[in-house]
Amino acid sequence: MAEKQGVMSNINGKQYAMNAISPMKPWKTWILRAFFFFLGHFPSAGRDLVNLSFIHFARWVIVRRNQFPRLSEHQPPDNLRYDYLLFFSNFNGTWNQYIDAFSAVLSRGLDAIWCWSEKFPGAAPVTPFKEYIAQGQFETDYYYTAYPHATTNDVKAAHRVTAALEALAQQRGKTAAEFEKAYRQFLVSVQGDLGATGEAPVGT
Amino acid sequence: MANQSGSVYGLTILSPIARSAHGSESHSLAIRQCLEKLPRGADSPFAKVSSTHMARLVVMDDVVYFGRPSREEHLRSKYLIFESNFDGDLDPYLRRLAVEVPQEVHAVWRHCEGYPGVENVDAFIRYMKRCQVETTFFFADVNDKTVQQTLQALQTQSAVTAFIEKNQGKPAEELQRAFVKFIDSLQSAPPPVPGIVQGRELADE
Repeated sequence: MAEKQGVMSNINGKQYAMNAISPMKPWKTWILRAFFFFLGHFPSAGRDLVNLSFIHFARWVIVRRNQFPRLSEHQPPDNLRYDYLLFFSNFNGTWNQYIDAFSAVLSRGLDAIWCWSEKFPGAAPVTPFKEYIAQGQFETDYYYTAYPHATTNDVKAAHRVTAALEALAQQRGKTAAEFEKAYRQFLVSVQGDLGATGEAPVGT
Repeated sequence: MANQSGSVYGLTILSPIARSAHGSESHSLAIRQCLEKLPRGADSPFAKVSSTHMARLVVMDDVVYFGRPSREEHLRSKYLIFESNFDGDLDPYLRRLAVEVPQEVHAVWRHCEGYPGVENVDAFIRYMKRCQVETTFFFADVNDKTVQQTLQALQTQSAVTAFIEKNQGKPAEELQRAFVKFIDSLQSAPPPVPGIVQGRELADE
């Protein structure tokens, strides 16, 4: 509960929750759907996203103009011309770092996704791209994460250490000399993955 | 199925917020005030529904107009967006929300159109599914580990680091004895709690 004092609702520990929306002409959403279908079936096309390794979870949701849920007669029906692309991301680091990295590494991929949205300026150069994202962004009111102090790389490293430790634990019944040899090999294999998670430095 | 990546489900829900009668309290403001008071760490309702990796609640007031030549338009309802990334299937997850954190769910969703309450769990599940929007593309960097496996791994990583620091330069037999004791302490440690940092203390036991 103490964490509740003075927190920013977009941020929880090392995680940032970003929400953005952009309008699309309805005929264009089918092209984007086809692109996402391709991405889903050829995961290698999204390798840059994996290699960036600072996004825990992200999603794009196309909401058709007649798809906003209407649950009762006295809820007025929406009468929209555009479909909408919603984007939600759970990433490590600051907003500026995120958009900079997106623009520098994934600009072609982002262009393929957002070029169907109205007035999208392109993912590079970064300044108009940031202005566009900022204009379409809306604030998170509540954000929860089960591991607030762990980055994506922390999570991957922790799973590698756990797997290596399980293998080493199989060696604990051997002679002391054999165990020591296995222990040293274990140290070499996990040395890049050691550490402990904790508070992040304050960024902008 | 775009709602899933490996064993992780990406749930997207848009619940229309009830319209306020003229002069009465705004439901969207009431939701925001309620969310402001909701704990975010180990006391979070989503920590109790322990299959939740990450979740957010957002009041979307309107769509965004980017200027001409696009046309300006507006939503006629505000929407509560519930975005969650969790282990397993949708129905058991929604059931856990209704059964394990009913007060918190009710405090938020009672401001939404068509919300049936949580007493009738099946009705609540049907309502949430009516509000669900299919996720078009879902990306999960680690999609084959549960929340508990990840918390356990983070605890293990921290404990292993502390163990290595503490046992540098020890003779082989002493190192092996310490390691056996360390593995026992790891295996008997209580399950890690979501939302907090823990682990190094296991190397001291």
